[in-house]
Amino acid sequence: MGKPTGFLEHERQSIPDRSPLERIKDWKEIHEPFNEDKVRQQGSRCMDCGTPYCHTGMTLANMASGCPINNLIPEWNDLVYQGKWRDALDRLHKTNNFPEFTGRVCPAPCEGSCVLGVIEPPVTIKSIECSIIDKGFAEGWVTPQPPASRSGKKVAVVGSGPAGMAAADQLNKAGHSVTVYERADRIGGLLLYGIPNMKLEKEIVQRRVDLMAAEGIKFIVSTEIGKDLPTKSLLEDFDSVVLCCGATKPRDLPIEGRDLKGVHYAMEFLTINTQGLLELKDVSAFETAAKSKDVVVIGGGDTGTDCVGTSVRHGCKSITQLEIMPRPPEERADDNPWPEWPKVYKMDYGQEEAKEVFGEDPRNYLTMTKKFLGDDRGNLKGVTICDIEWKMEDGRYSPVEVQGSEREIPAQAAFLAMGFLGPEDTIAEELGLERDSRSNVQAEYGRFSTNIEGVFAAGDMRRGQSLVVWAINEGRAAARECDRYLMGETSLP
Amino acid sequence: MAELIHDLKNSNHHARINVKLVSEVGVGTVAAGVAKAKADVILVSGYDGGTGASPRSSIQHAGAPWELGLAETNQTLLLNDLRSRVILETDGQLKTGRDVVIACLLGAEEFGFATAPLITLGCLMMRVCHKNTCPVGIATQDPRLREKFAGGADAVVNFMNFVAEEIRETMAKLGFRTINEMVGRVDKLELRKAINHWKAKGLDYSGILYRPDVDPEVGTYCQMKQDHLLDRSLDNREILKQALPAIESGIPVSIDLQVINTDRVVGTMTGAEISRKHGPDGLPEDTVRINLAGSAGQSLGAFCPQGMTFTVTGDTNDYLGKGLSGGKIIVRPPEDSPFVAHENIIAGNVCFYGATAGQAFVSGVVGERFCVRNSGVHAVVEGLGDHGCEYMTGGLVLCLGKTGRNFGAGMSGGVAYIYDEAGDFVSTKLNTEMVKTYPLVECDDKEIDEVKSLISRHVEYTHSPRGTELLNDWRLAAEKFVKIMPEDYERVLFALKKAEDRGLEGDAAIQAAFEENVAAGH
Ligand SMILES: Cc1cc2nc3c(=O)[nH]c(=O)nc-3n(C[C@H](O)[C@H](O)[C@H](O)COP(=O)(O)OP(=O)(O)OC[C@H]3O[C@@H](n4cnc5c(N)ncnc54)[C@H](O)[C@@H]3O)c2cc1C
Ligand code: SF4
Ligand code: SF4
Repeated sequence: MGKPTGFLEHERQSIPDRSPLERIKDWKEIHEPFNEDKVRQQGSRCMDCGTPYCHTGMTLANMASGCPINNLIPEWNDLVYQGKWRDALDRLHKTNNFPEFTGRVCPAPCEGSCVLGVIEPPVTIKSIECSIIDKGFAEGWVTPQPPASRSGKKVAVVGSGPAGMAAADQLNKAGHSVTVYERADRIGGLLLYGIPNMKLEKEIVQRRVDLMAAEGIKFIVSTEIGKDLPTKSLLEDFDSVVLCCGATKPRDLPIEGRDLKGVHYAMEFLTINTQGLLELKDVSAFETAAKSKDVVVIGGGDTGTDCVGTSVRHGCKSITQLEIMPRPPEERADDNPWPEWPKVYKMDYGQEEAKEVFGEDPRNYLTMTKKFLGDDRGNLKGVTICDIEWKMEDGRYSPVEVQGSEREIPAQAAFLAMGFLGPEDTIAEELGLERDSRSNVQAEYGRFSTNIEGVFAAGDMRRGQSLVVWAINEGRAAARECDRYLMGETSLP
Repeated sequence: MAELIHDLKNSNHHARINVKLVSEVGVGTVAAGVAKAKADVILVSGYDGGTGASPRSSIQHAGAPWELGLAETNQTLLLNDLRSRVILETDGQLKTGRDVVIACLLGAEEFGFATAPLITLGCLMMRVCHKNTCPVGIATQDPRLREKFAGGADAVVNFMNFVAEEIRETMAKLGFRTINEMVGRVDKLELRKAINHWKAKGLDYSGILYRPDVDPEVGTYCQMKQDHLLDRSLDNREILKQALPAIESGIPVSIDLQVINTDRVVGTMTGAEISRKHGPDGLPEDTVRINLAGSAGQSLGAFCPQGMTFTVTGDTNDYLGKGLSGGKIIVRPPEDSPFVAHENIIAGNVCFYGATAGQAFVSGVVGERFCVRNSGVHAVVEGLGDHGCEYMTGGLVLCLGKTGRNFGAGMSGGVAYIYDEAGDFVSTKLNTEMVKTYPLVECDDKEIDEVKSLISRHVEYTHSPRGTELLNDWRLAAEKFVKIMPEDYERVLFALKKAEDRGLEGDAAIQAAFEENVAAGH
C-alpha cells in the first residue's frame, strides 16, 4: 500500500452527482464526470487491511457483506493511488466482467463492510471501480479479445440480463460457441428495461454488448423461448443450456380497485419509458403516465425509487411513496453491527430529487394501502391508506392497522413496486425443472445444475430477485460449472 | 539463563519468573534446563500466533503446534522429577474452553490468551501494529486514532467468563473437580477421525498421548516453589538492614562493604524496595551510598533507581548496571594499582545493557557489547570492546580511549563521543550503516562544553589520570573527539526542535515531529 496514513489525511468523497434540479431536466446519468486526481486521493484512503472485509462476499443476516464477486479491491485501490490505471483495469476485469454496470448501479455491499467504515466513512470503492473502467474505455484499452481457439461445443444462454451476459462472456472465453436468446427487442435484461437511463445510460450497456458480439457471441433478440422456439429444441441443438431468465413475475396488490385505469406495475412504466427513450430519443409521448398527476408509488425499494425519479422527470404534480416497513435508523442499530449491510436511512437519487422539487422526502413509512378509488369512468382518483404497527402474532410479526388512521390521498397514477415473486413458469414446465419453495428454479449454489442434465440456472431465476452483482457472480460461476460439464475440467474462475 | 532468572528475581521477588519457549522438537530438554535454572513458570508457546506486526512467514512457520511441545515438555519434566517445581503454561491461538481443557490434559496448568481477547476489544486483524495506524486505536500512539477505541475491559471479562463456563462444563463431563487433578491426564484424550485425508494415514499420536511411568511420589503438577537462594545475597545479609533509614524515610546513608565475585546482583533488592516505596523517581541523588571494595559479581546495581550510588574500588563482572533505572555507578581501580587504567579491563561484558536512566563513570576499559540497547544512561569509560552501543536508542556514551570494531551497529538513538587518538576509528571501527559522524570541534560551543564538563565529573568521581591528562590540554584533545549521531534520530530531533520553536510542547511537539517524518515518507 502506498500510503499508510491516507485515511487520516483525506475525507471520503465519492464522484459527485449533478444538482437535483439540474439533472431532472434530462435523462442523462446523474453523475458528474470524474476527476482523476480526486479519485487517486480517494484510493489512498484504503488501508490495505490485514483482513479486508470489503471483498469477502459473505452473506450475513441474509444480506450481502463484502463484494459478491470478490473484486480485488485493496489491490486496485492502491494501483489507482499510484496512477497505474491500466494495471488496475486488468485486476478489475479478472473478477468483474462488467465493472461499468456495477460501478454505476451496485448498492456497494463492499463499502458496507469496508473496515474503514468502523471508524470513518468507508473508502469510495464503487466510485473508484467506475473510474477505472470509464478511464479504460476512454483510453481505448478495452478491446474485443476473442478466444484463441474454439472448443467445438455449443451453448445456449436464455435471457440477457447481467447473469446471462456474464455466463455468455465466460463461456465464450473458454472457447465455446455461445448463442444468447432474448425475448425483448434488445440485449441487457433489467440493465436495459428496468434500471432507468439516469442510473445507467443505455449506450453503456450497448457498448459492452457490441464488444461481446465482436468476440464472437451470437445475440438473438425478440425470440421468446417456450413461445417462439420450443425449449426442448435447445437441448437438441446445443451441448448445454444456461437459463438466466430473471425473476420477472411481479408481486401484485389484489385489493379493491386494482383494475382501475392508472394502476400499473412499476415495470410497465419503467420499460415503456426506456423504450420511448431508445426509440424516439424523446419521451414526451410517455409523459402522460405521470405528467401533472398525483403519483403514488407503492414500495420503498430500488424499483420504487426509480419510479419516483422517472415521475419527477415527467413533471408529476405530487409524489408519495408508501413503505410498509419502519423508517430505518440514522446510524446502525445495535443488532446490525459492522460488517453487516448497514440498514440505515439513506436518501437515494429519486427521493433527493423529489425533496428538491416538492420540499420533502416522498416516503411514508409504516403505511399500508387499503383501496384504490376510482371515478365513474373507471379512472384512478385516489388511494385509501392507513398507518400500521408491527405486532408479534403467533411468533411472527404482522402489520396491524392503527385505529382511526385511515385516510384518502389523491392519486391519478399508482405504480406497484413491491418486488418480484419469482421466475415465469413456461420454461420450467416445459422442461420439467424442479423448483424450490419460493418457486425459483432448483439448482444448488456452487453447482448451478438443474435436475435436467446439461441445463444450468443462474441469476434471479435461481436465487430470486437480487442484485446485478449477484447476477454476475452466478453467471460466472454457472459458466465455470457448465465448462466443467462440457470438458470434464475447467480453468474458469 | 540462570543468571537472568536470578537477576529478575532480585529485582522483584514477588514476581514469578516466566520463561517462554517455542514449541518445537527438543523443547522438553530445554525446559528441563530452564526448570533447573529456577524459572517459576515455563511457557510453551505454539506457532500460529504472533502480533500483527510479525511477517506472515513467521506466524505460520516458526515453531510447532503447542500440543506437540507441551506434551514433550510435560513428559520430560515428569521423567526428571522436575514437574512439581514449575508451573507449565501454554499459548498459541487458544480460543475456547475446549482448547484449555485439552491443554490441561496434555500437561499445562496455566493458559495464555491474546488474539481472542484482543478481538473482543475491537481488534480487526489489520496487521499494522507496527505502523502506528491501527484504525481501532489499539496498537497506536496517535491520539486521533486512540480516540476511536470503542472496546472495553467488560468485553474481555465477558469473553473469559464464557471460556471458564465451557471449561467447567467439560470438566464436569470428564469428572474432574480441580485443574490440578486434570493436569497431564492424557488418558482422557482420544483420537477421532475428523478428516479423511490421505495424509492422515501415516500419523501416529502415541508419542503425544504417552504418559511416563513414574514413581507415585513424583508430583504431576506444580506443588512447590523454586528456591532462589535470595537469603544468601549481600542485600539480605547487609545492605537492606543498613539502608533501612533511607528506604523508610529518605535519610541519607553510607554503607561500606567488602565484595567478592560470588556476590551477584548487589544492590538490586535494595533498589526494588526503594522503587516500591518511592515510586519510579526513587530518592534524591546520593541518598544511599554503597561503597564496595574488591571484585563484584555479575549484575552489580542492576535495575537500580535514582538515589543509589555505587562506588566500587576494584573491578566488576559482566552485566554491570544492567537495566539501570536512574542510579549512579562509579568504578575505579584502587589508588595503589600499578596498572594504566585506560589500557586495562575493569568491568566485564554487556555493561548497562538495556539501561533506561542513570549515570556511570568507569575509569578503565570495559568489555564487549557496552551499552547495548541503552535508552537513557549517560556513561563515561576509558575504552570499550566490540559492538559498543549496538541497538542503542537513547542516552550518551563518552569514551576516552580505544573501541573495538562494529561500533554503533543498529544504533537508532542517543549520541556517542569517542576520543580517537589514532585517527582510525571511523575507518576501521565504526559501523556506518545508520550513523553519521562529526568532529566535535565543529559542534556548537555549548555541546563542546558539555563534553568537557562530563570529563571533569569523571575525574572528580574516579580521579582518572586519562581524564586529567585530556583536560590539561583540552584544546588539543578536543580536536580528536568524534561525535556519532544516528541519522534518523538527528532528523527527528531537528523536527522536534522546529515544533517547539512553533510553540508546541510535550506530546504535541512529539506528534508534530512524528507527522513531519511520516509526511516526508520516512
Ligand atoms: C427497477 C429495478 C431497478 C433495479 N435496480 C438495481 C440496482 O440499482 N442495483 C442492482 O444491483 N440491482 C438492481 N435491480 C435488480 C437487478 O436488476 C437484477 O437483480 C438483475 O438484473 C438480475 O439479473 P438476471 O440476469 O438474473 O435477470 P434479468 O436482468 O431479469 O434478465 C432476465 C432476462 O431474461 C429474459 N427472458 C425471460 N424469459 C425469457 C424467455 N423465455 N426467453 C427469452 N428471454 C427471456 C428477460 O426478458 C430478461 O431480459 C433492479 C431491479 C429492478 C426491477
Ligand atoms: S461490484 Fe459492487 S460490491 Fe463489488 S466492488 Fe463493485 S460496488 Fe463493490
Ligand atoms: S476493507 Fe476498506 S480499507 Fe480495508 S482493504 Fe478493503 S477497501 Fe481498503
